[in-house]
Amino acid sequence: MQKRAAVPPVEPPPTRPLKVYAFDPTQGRSLGNIMTIHVPYEPLERGPAGKSVVVIDYDATNDVYYAPVDLDEPGVLLRGGLDPTESDPRFHQQMVYAVVSKTVEHFEHALGRSIRWSFARWSGTKSEDRSRLRIFPHAMQEANAYYDPQMRALLFGYFQASETDSGASLPGQVVFTCLSHDIVCHEATHALVDSQREFFLEPTSADAPAFHEAFADVVALFQHFGLKDALVEVIRRTGGLIHRSTVGSDVAPGFEGPTIAAELTRTNPLVELARQFGEAMGTRKALRSALGTKPNSDDIKRLWEPHDRGSILVAAVFDAYFTIYTKRSRELLRLARAGGQMEGANALSAELADLLADTASKTASQVLTMCIRALDYCPPIDIRYGDFLRALVTSDRELVPDDPNNYRAAFIDAFRSRGIVPDGVVSYSEEALVWCPPEVLHGEAPVCKGLSFDLFRRRDDAGYKKQQSQNARVLQGFAKANAEAFGLSPELPIQARNFHFVHRVGPDGQLLFDVVAEFMQKRDVPVDPEDLEGPTFTFRGGSTVIIASDGTARYSIQKSIGDPDDDGNNERLQAQRAYMASLEAGVPFALAGRKTGAKARALNFSRVHRGY
Amino acid sequence: MAKTPATRAAATRPLGDDELRVRMYRVGFGDCFLVSLPHASDGATHAHVLVDCGVHARGNLGTIRAAVENIAEVTGKRLAVVVATHAHQDHIAGFGECRDLFAEFDVAEVWLPWTWDPANPDAVKIQKKQARLVGKLRQHFAARGLDADSPLAHALANLAPNSRALDLLKSGFNGRAEIRYLTAGDVLRQPASIRGLVARVLGPPVSESFLAQMDPPAGQHYLRMDGNRVTEDGRVEPFAARWRVPARARELAALRLSKTEQERMREAASEPLDALAFTIDQARNNESVVALLSYGDENLLFAGDAEYGNWRWWIENMEASAELLEQVTFFKVAHHGSINATPPLALESMRDDGFAAMVSTQSKPWKSIPRVPLMQRLAEKTGGRVVRSDWIDLPDAVGPSPGTEPPRPARLPRGFSRHEFWMDYVVKI
Repeated sequence: MQKRAAVPPVEPPPTRPLKVYAFDPTQGRSLGNIMTIHVPYEPLERGPAGKSVVVIDYDATNDVYYAPVDLDEPGVLLRGGLDPTESDPRFHQQMVYAVVSKTVEHFEHALGRSIRWSFARWSGTKSEDRSRLRIFPHAMQEANAYYDPQMRALLFGYFQASETDSGASLPGQVVFTCLSHDIVCHEATHALVDSQREFFLEPTSADAPAFHEAFADVVALFQHFGLKDALVEVIRRTGGLIHRSTVGSDVAPGFEGPTIAAELTRTNPLVELARQFGEAMGTRKALRSALGTKPNSDDIKRLWEPHDRGSILVAAVFDAYFTIYTKRSRELLRLARAGGQMEGANALSAELADLLADTASKTASQVLTMCIRALDYCPPIDIRYGDFLRALVTSDRELVPDDPNNYRAAFIDAFRSRGIVPDGVVSYSEEALVWCPPEVLHGEAPVCKGLSFDLFRRRDDAGYKKQQSQNARVLQGFAKANAEAFGLSPELPIQARNFHFVHRVGPDGQLLFDVVAEFMQKRDVPVDPEDLEGPTFTFRGGSTVIIASDGTARYSIQKSIGDPDDDGNNERLQAQRAYMASLEAGVPFALAGRKTGAKARALNFSRVHRGY
Repeated sequence: MAKTPATRAAATRPLGDDELRVRMYRVGFGDCFLVSLPHASDGATHAHVLVDCGVHARGNLGTIRAAVENIAEVTGKRLAVVVATHAHQDHIAGFGECRDLFAEFDVAEVWLPWTWDPANPDAVKIQKKQARLVGKLRQHFAARGLDADSPLAHALANLAPNSRALDLLKSGFNGRAEIRYLTAGDVLRQPASIRGLVARVLGPPVSESFLAQMDPPAGQHYLRMDGNRVTEDGRVEPFAARWRVPARARELAALRLSKTEQERMREAASEPLDALAFTIDQARNNESVVALLSYGDENLLFAGDAEYGNWRWWIENMEASAELLEQVTFFKVAHHGSINATPPLALESMRDDGFAAMVSTQSKPWKSIPRVPLMQRLAEKTGGRVVRSDWIDLPDAVGPSPGTEPPRPARLPRGFSRHEFWMDYVVKI
């Protein structure tokens, strides 16, 4: 028999189309609620189980497993994924897989590197699979969803809607948090942020937990602006003003008010978060909204509960986004007006609405990328809102040095009008907000010698691990030699935690790679400064150092651990103590019910007694 | 059991014109204190202040009615002031249970924490929200079936609403008494026309952080309460049986969890509501009225059930709080001598051998109460002038467990005497 050359196999597709709810099941088919998202293709096992996430449908309340979906079944493939339904758990599994994978892709795209989950760094038993995030779409009967690093999992609950006032859900109907696009995205973001910085989630001040809630909300909300159909619909109904909280009805009601459904105005789904969840709880409204109240500088001094305080940051980010979008869309609207286009709701032509939608979604994607990229320029712990603004400004300047569309100015204004004041900054000018290079404070910028990075080396490559541990040693030595310049204490051990690449655009337009390294220090301090023998907690300090490819330290973003002999003047330590005391006194109820990574690794308050 | 002399009842003798008395009733787990100040008016020799009248349902000795009858007898049914420190059963249940007896009392003033004030929007909001959450919690756990002897069951029992007691108090004993809603920082001079009495209110505060603590936020952690509609077994089956697969099914393969992990998830699924119940319980303790009654050279500190948050606020924010503590001559120990109710910060500021103390306590329903190291430190600090209500032996009552330090003394300290079911502390003014 003659040997025939093998026919080349069909190339795997770049993406896998999967259907999901754009918002949640209550929105029905309106406003482009049924949408297809294209997740990066990967071979899947039943579950779905992929390379970095695995869906496990175990229900702890009922102690049962639900049948896992096989997304490679021909019937599923031909349909472009299972059709949305509430009654088939396999669609639920598909949706959480798709939304989490998409969120992961956003982060990888923005950061320019692949994600490694935080728990992958921990030591554990051999049998544990620590490379994948587990997703439990029906973990328990509870109106809650959370990220639990100890479980290496996202857990989504289900519950019965309020009997008396359940909004668009039927009274007593089962509501699934895993079918809310926003909730899934929000929880996935917690896991993604945790993967970037080891101690970032530690609740060290009122700002830290609030920041994490806000950040997760921001990522979830920005997903809405990538939903083409929904976006076009809202643009047409608002005349392009997508930041309005209501959208117009199909037809204007008569003077006696709306009498049929088509005459009802509706709330703008783009700016709302988790509507079904909120309504099913009997609140008559979405869980949270991107639109805060009018900007005022008092809220920051008044609101302490993490979600309330978080809403200040969410509102600031969306203020910046809507401002940028409005400026950019104005040009289009002016052009259209010149061509005879009428203004106002339901008057825009389909083409114009399309163009505006493109602008809105492009801007949204840029602003979201800005926010995610800023994570690399954040201090390693104890983040304050002001730090985030500085990180945003710095990271964006690295990529877009000239800021032609005034993105940074929009952010600075939005933060300023909400009274967010960065520490140690003389003004709100861009130059003042950018992090200081170390040479400004310490004469010459330290240079790190001996780092070696192989950009094309894969993580599973045998030499990779060796190279990484070699780099860790080099960085540790570098930090020790320059402890003072990086705001580290020379007396305490320094640990070089994560380090990874970040790209920027050089002065000549060339793409450059920097290394972000995280240096950490810790010491035990008494909870009560008066009682040196009493219970203690771990107080951390550290510095994020950005090192150019030639080894020069470009920025050092510091949270100093301070001199143990001068704790009386250590502002950070005192702030953390005050925050812990307020938690212990029950203020705010922040972490009482929610098992975030923050809580899991936080100080064990039950062991710290304020009595005899 | 051989009774020590200290447990034998002393004969009651009439109170002298120049004597001040604090009477602590043994009701079980609860507070009922009667303060009698030498102040002659309208034919009476003393003016009487009642601080709390309540007992926990699971630590009830059944003596509360007898206590109210005794109060009626001692006071001639005239009370200058009734203080209800906070809305826990173990501090107000008696007002409901003995409503008929109290109806015959003549009360001049009722002092309540500002958090009950119907004219204060913040207070109204807090009360409404707390009531709703407590209702849901009780409903939830009633349906789930709760171990009657668990700490959670005890906390819930104590949170139970008591509208009869609240109505009586908030109506000012049916409209006859003047009601004052107290806020930290208030100073009442000659309240209820008691000449020479100055009452300094140290708690509850009205600070932002305090409010946040009292006011469960509308955030999603609490929303689950509304969602968990309670059915008979409290459980919903979200999918039809055909979607279930047995744990050993081959298709699960790598998806199967270990037994330990399944167990862990099941535990986690039921935990958060417990935490909520305890948080509300603690918040309610912190709404306690804390009052320093100054009369002559005596400064009596009644701390209700104030926990750390309440103490901390006034110690840090009130001018001369350290001096106030130094002047204390009598201390009603907060929260039955529990672990987090008397901060070292406060107790250590009081003068060595400078004050006497009373602890209304017993180890039922909470075994960890009173806290032994606190009792020891109180004994040292007061030079032995501290007494506990559970030193009075009553039928079926739990006494201090043997070996508990410090032991019950052979003789009660100077100024104290033990009676049928109460203890007196008397000082000359």
